Amino acid sequence: MERGYWIRSKPLYDSLVWRQQATGHMVIAKGEGGIAVLKLFQQMCPREPIKLLFTDEGTAPKKYADIIKTLVPEGLQVLESEQAVLAALREQLPDCLMGTQFYVAGTEAFIWAVLDELKKYGVQDRNVEKELSGTLARSVYCVHCKTIDKDVHYNIHQCSGCQRHLFVRDHFSRRLGAYMGVMVDAEIPGDIPAKEEIYP
Amino acid sequence: MSTTLNVIVKDVEQVTEVVKHFTFVQENGEALPRFSGGSHVVVSMNINGRIHRNPYSLMGSTANTDSYHISVRKQENSRGGSVFMHEQVESGSKLQITYPVNLFAISKMGRRHILIAGGIGITPFMSQISDLNRLGFDYELHYAYRSPEHAAFREQLEEMCGDRVHFYIDSEGSRLDLNGLMSNQPLGTHVYTCGPEPMVKAVHLTGKTLGWPDNHVHSEEFTAPPIGDQFTVELLQSGIEVTVPGDMSMLEAMEEAGAEPPFLCRGGACGRCELEVVSCDGVIMHNDHYLSDHEKAEGRSIMPCVSRAKCSKLVVNL
Repeated sequence: MERGYWIRSKPLYDSLVWRQQATGHMVIAKGEGGIAVLKLFQQMCPREPIKLLFTDEGTAPKKYADIIKTLVPEGLQVLESEQAVLAALREQLPDCLMGTQFYVAGTEAFIWAVLDELKKYGVQDRNVEKELSGTLARSVYCVHCKTIDKDVHYNIHQCSGCQRHLFVRDHFSRRLGAYMGVMVDAEIPGDIPAKEEIYP
Repeated sequence: MSTTLNVIVKDVEQVTEVVKHFTFVQENGEALPRFSGGSHVVVSMNINGRIHRNPYSLMGSTANTDSYHISVRKQENSRGGSVFMHEQVESGSKLQITYPVNLFAISKMGRRHILIAGGIGITPFMSQISDLNRLGFDYELHYAYRSPEHAAFREQLEEMCGDRVHFYIDSEGSRLDLNGLMSNQPLGTHVYTCGPEPMVKAVHLTGKTLGWPDNHVHSEEFTAPPIGDQFTVELLQSGIEVTVPGDMSMLEAMEEAGAEPPFLCRGGACGRCELEVVSCDGVIMHNDHYLSDHEKAEGRSIMPCVSRAKCSKLVVNL
């Protein structure tokens, strides 16, 4: 892994914290993001109305929906899949007003799928609270054949589209929600370093 | 240095008791450079041998490059730029202006745009509206002014905006309810404001209180350099010492002394003229809208276009 320099496009994630100035709050989470939701609801809750869309779908070893139900009496919708969460979000966004604060937690792919829906309503990703939960797995965009592979755990990844071995870079596309993957043996064909699991 | 355009005043129109409208064409007869809605130009004026440069918003249609249009409100108790425009500039006068610069553009990411103007602050919106109409964007204009005699451009706005424009006339007791307006807007709305400082501050404060992201609240305020005490500036790199008289800005004094400091808006908005302060044996009087309160308190930078110092000597890294 490269150290000591700063890729501006690489997103930074934080812990979810309620925003003080708001007209409403909407929390959207998946799988291990349930932990982030529980941490959020352990903080003093804001007075404005809160909506929460949650799904347990994913590889999380623990299910959080039942615990969340005991903590969040109103505004909670537990859904069966990521697709159902995104569909519920699409349904509710037209009625949201400026001043609604958004909080997203889950895998990176889930976070950027939600942000893509928000963007259609003019909500910019920098104004959304984001917490990365559960895994560091990356979506990788092959710069050669434009295939996007999800759930990549290794620094070297063989593209499912063109079979090239790609080096997974830190350069991130907000439009695609994926990191750039560049052919690793372009200089010396066949010279492929051993892959390391650095995105567990 | 900014490149300048030589223009001739083609027409002057008295819009209200205190506002005049000027039409400029290029002296060489060529078309003027294209510009985007919200742009301004800096007009140079030679007042008794001293060069004054004031920023004014371009208010014509962005589709029109035959002529530029600005409007100037006559400011009493000012350093004389607006008075010069009102009293000395007439049809046929020659002036120098900078190329247009835009510090107040419409956010193309926005889904709805609320424009809030107070008084002469209407001018940047005139060109923004021509952009909004061309792009087919959803917008509303809220225009507040003192009394019916001050209703500059009302008819033109009614024609351009139809039912998207709302007027608020102070003398008739009609007031804009900012909180009501801003608390009921859909996601993706941007607000833009230009006008007196209390109005601009109120829009920012209302946005903050309602949880609007900072980058959805846009404003433009040009400040005229305030009058102050005389002080001396030392330019460290060029070794020049400049005396800044009380009625001249630090930027103007440096230019008059032959230095070529960078500048763009000359109204404390853009940050282009920022200079590093090496030392100051007094207090810096910050008048810009660019530096944060924290940076102003630190005193390591100064915007010489509008800010000055209450000291005997200020040393800057130029």
